[in-house]
Amino acid sequence: MSALLDFYAKHSRLIDQIGVNAILALSLSVSLQAGQLALAQAAFMGIAAYVSTILAVNAHWPLFATIAVAVLASTVVAALLAYPVRRLRGVFLAIATIGFGEIVRVVANNLSITGGAEGISSIPNDATTPVIYGALVLVGLTLFVLSRTKFALAVALVREDEYAARGVGVDVGTIRTLSLALGGAIAGLGGALYAHASFFITPTDFGFQRMEQILVWCVVGGVTSPLGALLGATVLSILPEAIRFLADYREITNGVILLAVILFAPGGLSSLWRRGTIRVRV
Amino acid sequence: MNRNTVPALALLAIAALVAPSGAASKGPAAGKTVHVGVIADVTGGAGVYGTPQKNAYELANEDVKSGKIDAGGANLVFDVQDSATDPAQAVNLMQKFTTDGQTPIVLGPTLSGEAFRAFPIAKAANFPVMGTSTTAEGVTAIGPTVFRDSLAESQVIPTTVKRTHDKWHYKTAAIIYGDDNAFTKTDGDVFARELKAAGIDVVDTETFHIKDTDFQAALTRIESKHPDVIAIGALFPEATKIIQQAGKLGIKAHMMGGNGLNSPEMYSVAGPAAQGTVVGAAWFSGAIYPSNVDFVKHYTAKYGKGPDQFAAQSYAAAQIVAFLVARGATTKDEMTAGLKNVRVIQTVLGPIGFDPNRDVKSSPVILSIVKDGFAYFH
Amino acid sequence: MIAQQLLNGLFLGAVYALFAVGYTLVFGVLDILNLAHAAIFTAAAFAAFSLAAAGVPLPLAFLGAAVLAGIMGILLDRVAFAPLRARNAGTLVPLISSIGVAIIIGAILRGIYGVDERHFTVGGLDTAPVIRLGPLTFTTVELTIFLAAIVLMLVLSWILRATTLGRRIRAVAEDRVAAALLGVDLERTIAATFFIASSLGGAAGVLTGLEYNSVTLDMGGPIELKGLAVIILGGMGSVTGAVIGGFILGAVETLAIAYGLSAWRDAVLFGVMFLLLVARPTGLFGKRALRAA
Repeated sequence: MSALLDFYAKHSRLIDQIGVNAILALSLSVSLQAGQLALAQAAFMGIAAYVSTILAVNAHWPLFATIAVAVLASTVVAALLAYPVRRLRGVFLAIATIGFGEIVRVVANNLSITGGAEGISSIPNDATTPVIYGALVLVGLTLFVLSRTKFALAVALVREDEYAARGVGVDVGTIRTLSLALGGAIAGLGGALYAHASFFITPTDFGFQRMEQILVWCVVGGVTSPLGALLGATVLSILPEAIRFLADYREITNGVILLAVILFAPGGLSSLWRRGTIRVRV
Repeated sequence: MNRNTVPALALLAIAALVAPSGAASKGPAAGKTVHVGVIADVTGGAGVYGTPQKNAYELANEDVKSGKIDAGGANLVFDVQDSATDPAQAVNLMQKFTTDGQTPIVLGPTLSGEAFRAFPIAKAANFPVMGTSTTAEGVTAIGPTVFRDSLAESQVIPTTVKRTHDKWHYKTAAIIYGDDNAFTKTDGDVFARELKAAGIDVVDTETFHIKDTDFQAALTRIESKHPDVIAIGALFPEATKIIQQAGKLGIKAHMMGGNGLNSPEMYSVAGPAAQGTVVGAAWFSGAIYPSNVDFVKHYTAKYGKGPDQFAAQSYAAAQIVAFLVARGATTKDEMTAGLKNVRVIQTVLGPIGFDPNRDVKSSPVILSIVKDGFAYFH
Repeated sequence: MIAQQLLNGLFLGAVYALFAVGYTLVFGVLDILNLAHAAIFTAAAFAAFSLAAAGVPLPLAFLGAAVLAGIMGILLDRVAFAPLRARNAGTLVPLISSIGVAIIIGAILRGIYGVDERHFTVGGLDTAPVIRLGPLTFTTVELTIFLAAIVLMLVLSWILRATTLGRRIRAVAEDRVAAALLGVDLERTIAATFFIASSLGGAAGVLTGLEYNSVTLDMGGPIELKGLAVIILGGMGSVTGAVIGGFILGAVETLAIAYGLSAWRDAVLFGVMFLLLVARPTGLFGKRALRAA
């Protein structure tokens, strides 16, 4: 027990990062499951992080109230974004949503309430490990329950064949909006927790690099199931610390491992123990 | 006694033989191993700043062994770890160093944004940290164990504006700064404040992004407003291109900047257009403090190029820690107390101390870019 | 002032276009986004720097680096894309493997060259004559770079339109299966595509390095995302579109600054791109049907 406590004392920050990253990866996997390569997760995350931070720092709201409002904000933005991009598919959708993310970052960089490039510091550090993992479990349960509903069936239909889905009476637009909003809600939860676990936020936290990182977690883990997202986020969050002993060779090893995993397991890490059962193309 | 004592003593004996006479003293910590944590962005986007920091600590490690830096006979080691320009890694390293039971102080990280995340962890552990390049406002206010040996832009720019105004008597100015970086954004804000306070009309303010390479659109716009002087809030890579392209466009206004322009390669990169540009800085490579002359010489010999301010401020941090170790500080509480009580330490930055807010107490140097280097601005 | 700003935009746009042409060619033929394109752009600039430092005249160093970049492109395909193509891994997975290759190239460059900015010390880049033409100011270096970019794009256009290789590339882009049935050697055509695309991206890198006389590890960062915007503006896979997109980007960027919007530059740029996409979901010159996800 004391060994466990000692381990936690030395690695609690990494453990918290893994939890937050897993939530972010899950948020993207929701879009990917619906066949939408919508890459605005970092922007949703940022919107919620700023809302939650400003409410906590300027208005001294309690943690859970700031999270609730922040998640609401990112959900609404995601649902609204779904309308203009409703006709976009594949890489066109990807790049329009990346563009949206850049716009959000530039706005955050230019507003005074966000502190611009200097960011906001001294954010209450109240997203503790139980809070983060409680949220992760909540997200997991929600996704599990949803997976047993007609909604999941409709999502799968839209992903596999949009025209067929229309043929059997599925409202494709609504399904796409709902899945984008759900992804936005989860990304917002991750963003609010991120802010309350890292003392400080700045617009570059929510730029293209973050988006790329979340996408890499998902694909390396496997886009066929939420488990892949969890696995990818966990493994790739630990990797840089696990190979720290390589010193000057750490950066290149990072790249080689990423490449090797993706070539060896194009379906992601989660496909390794059930190889060949499901194949989904995004 | 710890297991490193014997080799440390052996090293000490060798050091005593090779050291210049009187350099290595035998202090209360003689023979003890003191392991100092260093967090630096050696790779990633800020690698260009973190690498000179790493170089400086590696030089310091050699200089402690050889007795050039007096650590009172202790086996003082700077353990440089790369945070890869990733704040999460800086945070993890801070937690590692503050909980490993053998590290009494941490130097770094490289960027203010990393410091705002990592220093609160040190504060919670009542653990001393010193920034060497984290110049943003509010860094030392994080907690009573947070120090820095780097002059903030807000300490450098007012003098720069005053001294240039005294000489050039300009009436109008334009400002160009990077708006997506805490350091250069602070530059822009402080220049605007100080210029206005001096009664100067700021006729145009332009922004750019870090890693931009083309500033001609912004400079063309500035030139159309005919300012007497252009204030540059930039780090070295962007500053050299701004100055070079201003020269190309035939802009004749005086130019000035802060710490970000203090790199030995300023002239060789920006070219003749850089001549006469005024740089307010925390350190002058040509300063004649004895340790600075040695430092510049040895650094240049070891790395094939001169040190920049990032290297100098890191080397100074190593000198400060060695000074405390030589006086017996080997635990985190002794380090904190030592830093609080220190009056003046001789470093490559000159004689420095800390004010009650734990910011560095020293005066900025105002330099002018001349052919192949810098000179004091008169 | 606006005339000078448009000229600034034209010079910027030529290099953006050259970079984007390679980006879009790979997409047009293989339907994949190659995120290692910016890494090859950077590697070629360093290669040209090394060649020039070894005494090779600048024009030859430029060509040598472009050829090296082309070879890197073929290697990139063999390592990161071909194995996945063989396994039908879709479009998302190759994106990630190209990120892996980009990290590796970056790490190797850092290992060889360190983190310091490099400069071409020969060739008199810094002392190039400045030409003042009425309200316009530019250097002979900028003019040469602009012309080089235009010539390269014309050469590409000729290859695609008038050569057997070009017809093969277009056939594979149109329909890979049908092209194979008609006897086109798929793998060789793809290798040729990667060679051309990467040598153009590499050429853009060398020209950028020469234009600002600066070669750095992260010089490919800003252009990576802007390049995406450009190929979207033009319509993915459309070479003409990418060229026009490049010039639009250069103009939007400089005009945003000219009208005092420098702080909002990227928002203007991506805002324009977003609106264009909403209005025309496959870009300005996109002829493809809606791409099913």
